[in-house]
Amino acid sequence: MTETATRPRSAQRTSLWGWLLALPTAWMVAFFVSSMVIIVLLSFGRTTNDGYPAFATSTANYRAIWNEVYLELFLRSLAYAVATVVISALIAYPVAYVIALHGGRYKNALIAAIVVPFFASYLVRMYAWKALLSDDGLVNSALRHSGLSDGITFLNTPQAVIGGLVYGFVVFMILPIYASLERLDTSVIEAGKDLYHGPVRTFFSVTLPATRAGLYGGALLVFLPALGDFVSAQLLGGASTYMMGNLVQQQFAEGQNWPLGSALTVGMMAALTVLMVVYLRATSTRAQES
Amino acid sequence: MARARKLERKPVFAVAVTAVFFAWLYLPILAVALFSFNDKKSLSSFGGFSVRWYDDLFHNDALLDSLAASLKIATAATLGSLVLGTMLALGLERVTSRRGRVIGAVTLLPLVTPEIVTGVAALLLFTGIGLKLSMTTVILAEITFSIAYVTVIVRGRLAGIAGEVEEAARDLGCTPFQAVRLVTLPTLVPALIGAGLLVFALVFDDFVLAFFTTGVDPQPLPVRVYSSIRFGVSPAINAIGTLMLVASALLIIAALWVPRLFHRGSSSLDLITGGDRR
Repeated sequence: MTETATRPRSAQRTSLWGWLLALPTAWMVAFFVSSMVIIVLLSFGRTTNDGYPAFATSTANYRAIWNEVYLELFLRSLAYAVATVVISALIAYPVAYVIALHGGRYKNALIAAIVVPFFASYLVRMYAWKALLSDDGLVNSALRHSGLSDGITFLNTPQAVIGGLVYGFVVFMILPIYASLERLDTSVIEAGKDLYHGPVRTFFSVTLPATRAGLYGGALLVFLPALGDFVSAQLLGGASTYMMGNLVQQQFAEGQNWPLGSALTVGMMAALTVLMVVYLRATSTRAQES
Repeated sequence: MARARKLERKPVFAVAVTAVFFAWLYLPILAVALFSFNDKKSLSSFGGFSVRWYDDLFHNDALLDSLAASLKIATAATLGSLVLGTMLALGLERVTSRRGRVIGAVTLLPLVTPEIVTGVAALLLFTGIGLKLSMTTVILAEITFSIAYVTVIVRGRLAGIAGEVEEAARDLGCTPFQAVRLVTLPTLVPALIGAGLLVFALVFDDFVLAFFTTGVDPQPLPVRVYSSIRFGVSPAINAIGTLMLVASALLIIAALWVPRLFHRGSSSLDLITGGDRR
């Protein structure tokens, strides 16, 4: 085909694809980008005397959230989210390893058996834990019947909240690790065994470094929803285990101080962005080294 | 298979962790399902088999209204996000300019934004432009959130289709629009069905976005369930929870299986794991 014949056609093509992009782009600008702009604007706003949120140019909300109570809550959320990531990784790696390398023909079925309940109602799964761990729940009644204990208060503890977060999001760790193990050339492991002897040393010096990308990706995918979550702390915890998400939720649904809630949300997003940039830089240089 | 034989020694510890993991994963869910058939109100001792809690559910008008609302929301959000997400995927696959990359990045943002942020931002937007909170606002928010899922899945499939096929259709005299309609879209059908089922299940179960963007009446099902859970656990919630789990599990299983019916041998899990193992 000559060049003169192709050129008008490709120009025509570009305009068609450009046209296809127009509507969804307009939608995203109208409903997503603009909503983010509004929340930033309102974070500088104030509450009028009759209780309505109004735009303004005050930094009062940001000064209000810069206090010990909120900082403690922020650090607690961060600690819970990091704990969730670490525990998820410790659970997810062996599970993904067994399924990817020893799953044989049941591989897909096993992964589906993990994915299906995880994509089924997050709320109902949190409720399931609440029912199981409550004072008159199955676990406590089993403990009482066996005479091991008079019952343990599981709920309203940090452990319950972190456990809920792990239960909620561990699948986001399993899938990327599984994918990276699947891609792994197992002859590398064999070579490692010849070189290093012992399966443990081989694992830490060959397998783990080779699947770093999956682990890093999974950490991010678990961290993001865990940090913003409020359902786990609300259903499995109490006021002493509240996270940033609970604070934001209170300002919007209960406290009705929307400008303050907006400032909290923007602060949370800013902290997340900084953490993500630092994390991505650190992990990309480490990935390059390996 | 050969691979499994080469790694002759099973890692005992990892296998044990996996077994415990599966028990931990299913035990709470199975307990909810079991006690939904409990004749007694207790959550720890089983009095006998009964469907009384299910019977109660089907006579609870407020709950049935919520169920209907959630079905409507999920249907509308699925259709809307399928159309917009597919347009976006088709456009992004071909527009490789800087503008295309920026648009691509922006549309993926909802995936990395904590849902609570998307939720409160949508609430502010709707109140700001004077839109009364209702089922419509939930649908608008859910479409915005779901477009990214459809786009990711459809782009994964598109990357597997050679652009030359479309080119060939053009050479045979198709207009660009006809080439998309007659050649590209039909090959996307399995991906679209899979994405549609996935989005339907996600939206039907979605609590956070619905919580912030819903009006008073009728509340979507997860929002209604949430307000009753906050006041404690009860057999009635076990029953509705079991129904919700079963419904979404069936949808997800279908989402995993349908694309497989079209391409024998390809792993249906590509839908979930990113599809980069083509």
